[in-house]
Amino acid sequence: MAPVAPAAPAPVGKPAPAAQAVGAPLTDPAARRGEYIASAAGCLGCHTEAKDKAVAYAGGRALKTPFGTFYGPNITPHPAAGIGKWSEVDFARALREGLRPDGAHYFPAFPYPSFARISEADLRDLWAYLRALPPSARQNQAHDLGFAFNLRFLVRFWKWLYFTPGRFTPDPKRNATVNRGDYLVNVLGHCGECHTPRNFLGGPKRARHLAGTPKGKSDGGVSNLTPTNLKKWDDAELTGFLQSGMTADGDVTGERMGEVVSNTTSRLSAQDLASMIAYLRALPPIADAP
Amino acid sequence: MNRIMTVAVAGAALAMGVATEAVAQAKPDVLVKQRQAAMTLIGKYWGPIAGMASGKVPYNAEAVSRNATYLENLSQMPWDGFHESTRGEKSRALPEAYSQKAKFDEIADRMQAEIAKLGAAARAKSEAGVKAQFGAVGKTCGGCHDSFRAK
Repeated sequence: MAPVAPAAPAPVGKPAPAAQAVGAPLTDPAARRGEYIASAAGCLGCHTEAKDKAVAYAGGRALKTPFGTFYGPNITPHPAAGIGKWSEVDFARALREGLRPDGAHYFPAFPYPSFARISEADLRDLWAYLRALPPSARQNQAHDLGFAFNLRFLVRFWKWLYFTPGRFTPDPKRNATVNRGDYLVNVLGHCGECHTPRNFLGGPKRARHLAGTPKGKSDGGVSNLTPTNLKKWDDAELTGFLQSGMTADGDVTGERMGEVVSNTTSRLSAQDLASMIAYLRALPPIADAP
Repeated sequence: MNRIMTVAVAGAALAMGVATEAVAQAKPDVLVKQRQAAMTLIGKYWGPIAGMASGKVPYNAEAVSRNATYLENLSQMPWDGFHESTRGEKSRALPEAYSQKAKFDEIADRMQAEIAKLGAAARAKSEAGVKAQFGAVGKTCGGCHDSFRAK
């Protein structure tokens, strides 16, 4: 399948976080392209500890969910602590099928339901980038999950319900910009992992794709990305927000989205941001959850 | 003389007491408006600093110094507006802003401390210091918005 053309990475004014300042500049063009893919896919967020001077991609980030706390693993090429012994086939299987090299299922806290549809070219470039990272010996931490959710073999059942492997296919009825936006939002960006509500089994409520979650008991909810809400913003406001994490009024977004802005959206080219916005604007409007 | 002083001091204290206590507490809806006004102004003076610290706008040490100093004052203003009486008022504040008061206050204190550091760096005209501190301030804003403000 023809990969969706990756746009050239454009430098964004935002300084890289301390964690990103690793190793020598990338010389391999594939790894350089992969760096952009890694940003678009937001790998850093879950695969890096949330502290100053954390080693990028060495794992340790706690992801709290209603099912328990997951800890992002080390994905640097360290042979024992990281994924240094993996082959590219192992990597492809992890992203495309949600399987470990030993055949066990990954918990879908790892957003392979989104990543599965990554293009061949992007997958190869991303692998080249991860191989070029300096290896870190940081040890992984076991997930801390509630009973039943900690039973890895049950993930097979979850996948049967909610996981459909397959590649991203551009919709010929839409223009290339909207298709590129779809790919960035749904495949690499995995925006729906937070912006689509989930049912009690953690499966996405597909009828409310990207429609956000209401104000919950212990959180402020997640914004609706369909035109119902987005129509309140013009393109310049949305672009500015995705680049700075702030509205034109200086209102700062929450820390979780702020992290997405600094790791992902602020690093995307203007063209890619425009594609994402075009895709979101083309979604069917869904009313806010009550 | 001493007696006169005593009376004068007591009188002044009484007058001040009257000024702060005998006047009725502002109405809850007004307290909400006031705290929102403080937040709005924080946004107004934070925006340009964020733009300059992230390199989107040319750096202007004078403007940063002025804005950061305004922010130091403004950063102290919203909090008494989260008075218990405002619990039922319509706003984006989550119930946790009241029920988890200790955590709320801790973040509010940290935010003020981080902004004070930003102000010090800005007045020292240290561009590097401002850029280094900018992220820490943004984190306290965002952290609080995540925990205590509805989307």
